Amino acid sequence: MTHSFSLQLLDRIDARSPTPLYAQIASRVRLAIAAGELRGGAGLPSVRQLAAALRINPATVVQAYRSLEADGFVEMRQGAGTFVHELAPARRAAERKAAARRLVRELLTEGGRLGISPQDFAAVLRDELTGDTQ
Amino acid sequence: MTDAIQTRSLCYRASEHFEVTDLALTVPAGAVYGFLGPNGSGKTTTIRLLLGLLRPRSGEITVLGSPMPAATPSVLARVGYVPERPHIYPSLTVAEAMRFHAAFHRRWDSAWATALAATFQLRSDARVGSLSKGEMGKLMMLLALAQRPELLVLDEPTDGLDPVVRRDMLESVLGYVAEHGATVFISSHLVHELERICDWVGVMDRGRLVAELPMQTFKDGIKRLHVAGAAGDMANAPFVVLKRDRSDAAAEQWIVRGWEPGMQSYIEGAGATVREVVDLDLEDGFVEMLRAARTPTTTEV
Repeated sequence: MTHSFSLQLLDRIDARSPTPLYAQIASRVRLAIAAGELRGGAGLPSVRQLAAALRINPATVVQAYRSLEADGFVEMRQGAGTFVHELAPARRAAERKAAARRLVRELLTEGGRLGISPQDFAAVLRDELTGDTQ
Repeated sequence: MTDAIQTRSLCYRASEHFEVTDLALTVPAGAVYGFLGPNGSGKTTTIRLLLGLLRPRSGEITVLGSPMPAATPSVLARVGYVPERPHIYPSLTVAEAMRFHAAFHRRWDSAWATALAATFQLRSDARVGSLSKGEMGKLMMLLALAQRPELLVLDEPTDGLDPVVRRDMLESVLGYVAEHGATVFISSHLVHELERICDWVGVMDRGRLVAELPMQTFKDGIKRLHVAGAAGDMANAPFVVLKRDRSDAAAEQWIVRGWEPGMQSYIEGAGATVREVVDLDLEDGFVEMLRAARTPTTTEV
């Protein structure tokens, strides 16, 4: 873990997804902060750098950074750049839990489409966690 | 000035077989506007009209706040243009082409031009006529950028170029936009490329603008629906049914535009059930929109 920003973090953003690009970027960065991959004080790339590197609209990067700032994850300092805020451990834990909830909901929705019941999922999850996989 | 480009009731007749009809384009200042359309739909003709290179039959054109074609010289000084077909004297060297171009542009940034030439790996003593297609594209982009334009008009700038060159070019454009807030008007049929960079989309088909809206609105609103049960006519619904495939009556497939969450109720009110709402990407949405534009009665099939 480097604790500073790496472009690999945003490797898998997908313009074809219905989730807007700015929201995808913001959520990846938010998770990296929650996971401790990005520490307080770490700098994010400039708007220009990130837009060019990802070949996306600079306004999209600004929108992502603004939404991170509104949620208290980063601070945009005029002329200096965008920096990660130090988060309290409880806040980071809450973020991780929220991310877990999102993943589980996606899984249940997809499973519902395939006719997999929540009980099936619960059983498989228990097996996976205890290492009792078939 | 809130719009970089605006046209109203613009008409142009190229030949007996092709005309641009009643075009009303609006490109907000600061937008990266993707101008989509199949080959021959009138994208290049429209661009040439915008830049005063063709005279409209009727209608109004305003570019950077000035009327066109009346203000062509002063507007072109502020517009960087990468045409579909480059037009530089082949006997010039790259350095000469840069000096030649610089003479026409007061805001020319020669330091940046030199830096771009290095980034693009263009040899200054190479003859323009000897450049490869990719090098030519990069030279045209360099010339358009180094004049520090307020508006960049790019006509299929990456068509036929390899991925490395395309990346270099797009990175330089996006870097410039990030620093200077310029407006970009970019025509392309490479839909996936535009999906990443544009925040506005205009769709041309057969000389007409069939849609113009923010990229996210376009993507959010266009869906494939799986509908069970026979719904009645949807003429009064707030969404537009682009296509309704009734080959399987128990599970019809619909393509709709202007969809918003909660609109299932209109279909349910008509006696059917929405089984699934599937998101489409820009390319799927673009193709469906064009098909619908070409067969306006699909909903009756």
